[in-house]
Amino acid sequence: MVSRRPAHSILQSISLRSLTVRATPAVLILLCLTLMAAHRLDLFPVERVRIAMTDTMAPLMSAISEPFVTMSESFDGVKTLRALKAENIRLKAENERLLQWYESALKYQAENKSLKDLLNVKTDPALAFVTTRVVSDPGGAFVKSVLLPVGLQDRIAKGNAVMSGRGLIGRITEAGQRSSRVLLVTDLNSRIPVVVQNTRTKAILAGKNTDLLKLERLPIDSGLSVGQRIVTSGDGGQLPPDIPIGTIVEAGPDGVYVQPLADIGKVSHVQVINADVDQGLMTGEITPLPVKRPKNH
Amino acid sequence: MTFKADEGWEEPILSMLGRWALTLAVIFALLLLSTFPFKFADFGTIRPSFMLIAVYYWAIMRPQTLSPAATFIVGLAFDLMTGGPLALNALTLLIVQWVTQRQRKFLLGQPFLVMWMGLALVAAGAAALQWALVSLFNLQPVSIRDCIMSALMTAAVFPLVVMPLSAFNKMLADGRSSL
Repeated sequence: MVSRRPAHSILQSISLRSLTVRATPAVLILLCLTLMAAHRLDLFPVERVRIAMTDTMAPLMSAISEPFVTMSESFDGVKTLRALKAENIRLKAENERLLQWYESALKYQAENKSLKDLLNVKTDPALAFVTTRVVSDPGGAFVKSVLLPVGLQDRIAKGNAVMSGRGLIGRITEAGQRSSRVLLVTDLNSRIPVVVQNTRTKAILAGKNTDLLKLERLPIDSGLSVGQRIVTSGDGGQLPPDIPIGTIVEAGPDGVYVQPLADIGKVSHVQVINADVDQGLMTGEITPLPVKRPKNH
Repeated sequence: MTFKADEGWEEPILSMLGRWALTLAVIFALLLLSTFPFKFADFGTIRPSFMLIAVYYWAIMRPQTLSPAATFIVGLAFDLMTGGPLALNALTLLIVQWVTQRQRKFLLGQPFLVMWMGLALVAAGAAALQWALVSLFNLQPVSIRDCIMSALMTAAVFPLVVMPLSAFNKMLADGRSSL
């Protein structure tokens, strides 16, 4: 049986439906713009919603991403014989150089220890760390961040430094129970207090969403040159001092640019430094040096 | 090779729900794919926008598959995972869907190459829009190189993503006749 409805009611329902269909995208687009503005103005805790989401997704993502990481690592492993030969030669040369450095390091270590003993300096405590795998780096073109499958339950906290084997890659900006987000040093919003290792010139290392980092707030005539190493200064107490970050690759009128030591785009395992130690606090006892009595002749 | 669309049909509510759930599962799989730490070659963290391809494809082939509300939810979920400006991807995907649906009549039944070119244009537009929004959000211009790379990669992988989507589309259409 075909139901009959008055023509005008059908027309009304059609026009109402088409109006809703037409209006939905516009309403949603407006909602998006409102959400974006609210995020910009910090009107609600986006971070908390975010970390709740990643906490839920972390176990799933961790399980799924494993084969992908293995796959991309094995892709990296496939190299031509020619490339392997070249790499071998380079590594041999590097090994020679490193052995020389090793000898020097041993000498300096002994010298350093004896000088420290002499001065009674309390050295920085050894740093504790958690090593973990990167489960995802969802940021893409605009946000340089990675997710880690460790969180508060692994004693990871907001502000912890994150390193690859070679140097600092970022710090924890959001920490949930099971997952945490690392803001990479290359991100536009990353600012790290640093010093130039050999001159102890202080500066701020800013991310630019590109491969290179820029040194800002440098003193005038800082006299920096290509090749100088940049390490964390420990100012602000968030990051431990003297973690290597990169080397200066460009120092000109356009600014001073730093190449990170770690290959940030390819990092698959990281160390989170989670020592909760006040790095600024150093104690020592001042003991008077024994007075040398002049010998009586 | 041309594409033909499935037009709307009457169907029981249960199968509609099933289809909706399947579609969401596919798009969430693409979302997860967009966050995996692929480290091939030297592309670093820049990768194609798989979801943009799905939204574009469905906006042409089967607009009823993905409603604007579903697009919004998926986009927002991705935004929550990326750590970027909230609703950036939701907004981009909604605009892509809206623009593509307006061009649907032209794109339907066109050779694959034309559809591909259409996608490249849409991806370029989306990249430009995102660049402008992110620059505005950060109150300083961000690097445009990554946006261009991302759009190029999206265009490059289009055929690879469309193949399974097309198979999925066919599966849904076959399922309809058996239900």
